[in-house]
Amino acid sequence: MPASRFTQTGNYRVRYQQDQTIFATSAEQASLIVGVLLLLALPLLLPKTLLRDVNMIMIFAVAVLGLNVTTGYTGLINIGQAAFMGVGAYATALAATRLNLPFFLAIPLGGVAGALVGTFVGLPSLRLKYLYLAVATLAFQIIFEWLVGHLPVLAQGGAISMPTVQVFGIRDSFLNHNRFWYYLILPVLVGLGLLWRNVLRTRHGRSFIAVRDNDRAAAAMGIHPGRAKLTAFMIGSFYAGIAGGLFAYFQKAVVIEDYGLHTSVQLLAMAIVGGLGSLPGSFLGPLFIVALDRFMGNASEWLGAQNIFPQGVDAATALRPLAFGLSIVLFLMFEPRGLANWWRLVRLYFKKWPYKF
Amino acid sequence: MNKLLALTALVTLSSFATAQKNTTLVWSGAITGPTSDAGSSYAAGVEDYCRYANAQKMLSVTLTCVVRDDQYNNANTQRNFEEFVGNQNVPVFLGYATGGMLQIKGVVQETKVPTLPASYHIGIIDPPNNGYMFLPVSSYSENIVALLEWVANKERGAKVALIVNPSPFGRDPVVDARKAAERLGLKITDVQEVGGNNLDNTALLKRLEAQGAKYIINQNTAGPVANILKDAKRLGLLGKMQFMGAHYTGGEDLTKLAGDAAKDFVWATSYYMYDEGDQPGIQLVKKIGAQFERKADTIRSVHYTSGMLAASIAIEAMKRGGKTITAASVYKGLTSMNGSRAFNPGFTVGPVTFSAKDHVGAENLRLLQADATGNFKAITGAQRSKMFQLVHPLK
Repeated sequence: MPASRFTQTGNYRVRYQQDQTIFATSAEQASLIVGVLLLLALPLLLPKTLLRDVNMIMIFAVAVLGLNVTTGYTGLINIGQAAFMGVGAYATALAATRLNLPFFLAIPLGGVAGALVGTFVGLPSLRLKYLYLAVATLAFQIIFEWLVGHLPVLAQGGAISMPTVQVFGIRDSFLNHNRFWYYLILPVLVGLGLLWRNVLRTRHGRSFIAVRDNDRAAAAMGIHPGRAKLTAFMIGSFYAGIAGGLFAYFQKAVVIEDYGLHTSVQLLAMAIVGGLGSLPGSFLGPLFIVALDRFMGNASEWLGAQNIFPQGVDAATALRPLAFGLSIVLFLMFEPRGLANWWRLVRLYFKKWPYKF
Repeated sequence: MNKLLALTALVTLSSFATAQKNTTLVWSGAITGPTSDAGSSYAAGVEDYCRYANAQKMLSVTLTCVVRDDQYNNANTQRNFEEFVGNQNVPVFLGYATGGMLQIKGVVQETKVPTLPASYHIGIIDPPNNGYMFLPVSSYSENIVALLEWVANKERGAKVALIVNPSPFGRDPVVDARKAAERLGLKITDVQEVGGNNLDNTALLKRLEAQGAKYIINQNTAGPVANILKDAKRLGLLGKMQFMGAHYTGGEDLTKLAGDAAKDFVWATSYYMYDEGDQPGIQLVKKIGAQFERKADTIRSVHYTSGMLAASIAIEAMKRGGKTITAASVYKGLTSMNGSRAFNPGFTVGPVTFSAKDHVGAENLRLLQADATGNFKAITGAQRSKMFQLVHPLK
């Protein structure tokens, strides 16, 4: 047993049951509750435009969670996560506009559509690995964009407007849009985060990690690597589908440009910067990339106003893509474990602070 | 209590009075990212005309000009719209890309803030949610139908192929083009999609040649079209095939990229060209460009003129709307631009007219043809497509 229910300065687990708990100490449970309460109060503290960024971060976090399931935890490189998001978004849009389903049914349906397509796209993973699998998922990304662009039912990639949502008599409008969706996205993100945390404790979660570390050794231990890989693709693309459905409603329309290759690269960058194969990294990565983009946008606007660059050079506006690329390279070089490792170090420091031995 | 009320009224009035001293003109578009070649010149046009309007004291208030790079990212466009319309109450929004504009249609309708895109996609002003979207010039669809009419006049029953961008921007006019071709007695042999990565178009052009297509209409941006023209020249097809295109295919951008392969390219646009120095609008473009020390390439670009047109329409609408500049007054100002009160800044081949039902500004267009020096010369007068009204009646 830990020395204290509230703090833990070492590993005191002696039974498998203890090893499988989600929260090691009461402090972790308490911090989660406090964190969620703070998150609930956030819209009251933040300006409206910043809240929009927070919503984007949360939606991307759902997609990055899914990407972490496939790439981070199972080691299956996936460059088509935006396409899975797109499958979810278009499925949600069709469910909402053609079948007139309410959003709380349309979004899960988007997740299921994403999962089904993801499982199918994951089939090559039974034979392919590493770069070859990356190319297979990239192929799906390209096929998806082509397919949407040619299907009249999907407006050939043009806008499919989403219906306006109403919850408990409160209608989504321009004035309350960000706050309205914040309170809808937050529980979905927390729920899916907890769900994944729970899946990790099961034999499925452990088999994903075993397959990632060495699939032959995993097979020798009785794990079915193919089943684990397909399950990982199914869960990962389910998360992407849910993110796509949320994004569709949040953006008020589905347009193919939102689900292109650049979004897939962005999601992968978020996963890398956050820390592949880490739950906190799935939140920190989107936070970092969206905040960086916002900061660089403001910086470039300020620089542009100073008239210090010669005309036509556009050095100021190039800051955003430059910062994006540079951040990925620097993280890969100096902190391949991502921001999650910094989070781990901070927690480690406070475990020992103030020197309780 | 009375004192408190009086103080509140005073503060409200003074803040109201302060608000009337300034207003903001905002443009959100791609200065970086895809299509930034057009976007950067467009941005310069918006910015410079806005500064010029301030210098000329066109309005009784000071204009704050904001040019935002949305990187061709729809989410950034939405964020900019929310930031400026929601938080700063800007009375008019100048947008850019097709996707972003289609995506914000619902919000524009809800907020009733007049919005002028740089995309001339007809779907932007098609119902539903089309009350506050205004196209500055004729649509891509009308450009293409006008080109088809020109082909039909030259050669009845001619075979035509369409090469379009793989995006809503490219694909949307295809339906109207097909309908118009059928009515005009033309045969559309093929519709091919070509993006910006078309390094070798040999197979495409050979396929079109085998089909007997003599007229090739492009709905694309200048880059891919230039590559097609260069390949057509290499294959000796330039004399056999007549290449044509809608607004974003042509102009200085095309001749700069394609060189002499652009010769004879037929282009549909509503704008005057840089070398038409006798036009008051072009004189103004040159004057403003020189005043703000823009590079020659920027001033010569038709997109610089396009940016100026969008800004000039917005500023004129602000002027016409009354003393207090609000979204409602700008809408009133915009929809007053018709009949004897049509707005003619001289950038386009006809005046800008809007009403509650008419959401296309400069409806006239011309067909121009590139000569050996790379300049586009008008081969028709200012006109409207007759067929377009029939195949795409605007509501």
